[in-house]
Amino acid sequence: MKVSLSETIRIVERESIPSNAIMFHGLPDVGLVGLIATSYIISELNLAEIAYVDTDLMPPVIVLHDGLPHAPLRIFGNNRLLAVISEIAIPANSVHAIMRALTEWGKSKNVRMVLSIGGLPVENRQDLTEPKVFGAASHRELIRLLQEKKLEILREGYMVGPQALTMRYCAEKGILAIAFLAQSYYNYPDPEAAAAAIKEVAKIVDIKVDVSQLIQKGEEIRLKARDIMKRTQRELTEMKKSQEYDVPYVT
Amino acid sequence: MSTKRRKDLFELMRNYFKDWETFADELLESARIERPSWDIESCCLEPLCNVFVSADEVVVTADLPNINLKSIRVEAIDTDTIEIKAGMKRKIRFHDFGITHREGELNSFRCQVNIPVPVDVKKMKTKFKRGILEVRIPRKKGYKIKVQ
Repeated sequence: MKVSLSETIRIVERESIPSNAIMFHGLPDVGLVGLIATSYIISELNLAEIAYVDTDLMPPVIVLHDGLPHAPLRIFGNNRLLAVISEIAIPANSVHAIMRALTEWGKSKNVRMVLSIGGLPVENRQDLTEPKVFGAASHRELIRLLQEKKLEILREGYMVGPQALTMRYCAEKGILAIAFLAQSYYNYPDPEAAAAAIKEVAKIVDIKVDVSQLIQKGEEIRLKARDIMKRTQRELTEMKKSQEYDVPYVT
Repeated sequence: MSTKRRKDLFELMRNYFKDWETFADELLESARIERPSWDIESCCLEPLCNVFVSADEVVVTADLPNINLKSIRVEAIDTDTIEIKAGMKRKIRFHDFGITHREGELNSFRCQVNIPVPVDVKKMKTKFKRGILEVRIPRKKGYKIKVQ
């Protein structure tokens, strides 16, 4: 079954998609926090590949797994969860269209909530044993929920990239969305930050994910994720990601 | 030739050189990224690196997972280039990443980093923490201008 969303982006469903699910977004961004965290959730909860994004806006790349071709931008899931990941960096000039399409698709599937996981680059990351996780939300009631769960709110500042657009389009479409931003390295894969983000996510949704393996396999993940980190950094530069360091003028 | 025409000509040349500069930058960037991050002959993996220039110093960092701490070597190979080398705790084979169509193993990290401003490499200081190597090199001081 295929769902056409626009002339340039189609989300191809390979399995039936659950209604009212929680949807994770884990796209390549600073420290690959979202990608590492969401991939780990997918693997720990045995989520199956149920859909993929077909678009000319992504480079002409397929990913081979067990000799079979897969689209790099895919959606995994079970009967109550959906998780979007990309195995390649999202081109800066395609981010708007892709995030808009994913949000519209989520809306058409009546997703209960979107949880977007990402990193918050900090200069002293090396000195932090436990990265702090901040939250931002699409709606005021979610801010209250985050406060009840003792998550620090990202009150003022800029967000740039896929996560920023998820928040914007979800707010526009009336989809509840939370962004989890773990303090991280800017351009080095950061499994510890991903683990910290998962712990906070687990306070909001009922998922049982033990992050100890993620910490243990940290070095292996950093080795494997080097190439995608390098290409992601290039796209982040194009997106003017460094604007996240800026202080907003109007408060 | 009128002043206006001369101005237009200079403007044209400036734009022409600017376009060439952009093209050269793009070419350099693509040459940097469009190659593997490993070298099978030397068994080396190129680490992810970052260069940050502040008013007083240049800070170079490199992500060095799976390395033997005692094997880290940082050397100035020129006045504006440093080389970072580190041996791995255990060798990596492509098979370890599930890649079966390549042969070979990697046993160390190596990269050469270009420093974009004049620095005093003799005063270079290094630190390794949480898998990240940090090299701090003070910038060379110029001359002071008296403020009247």
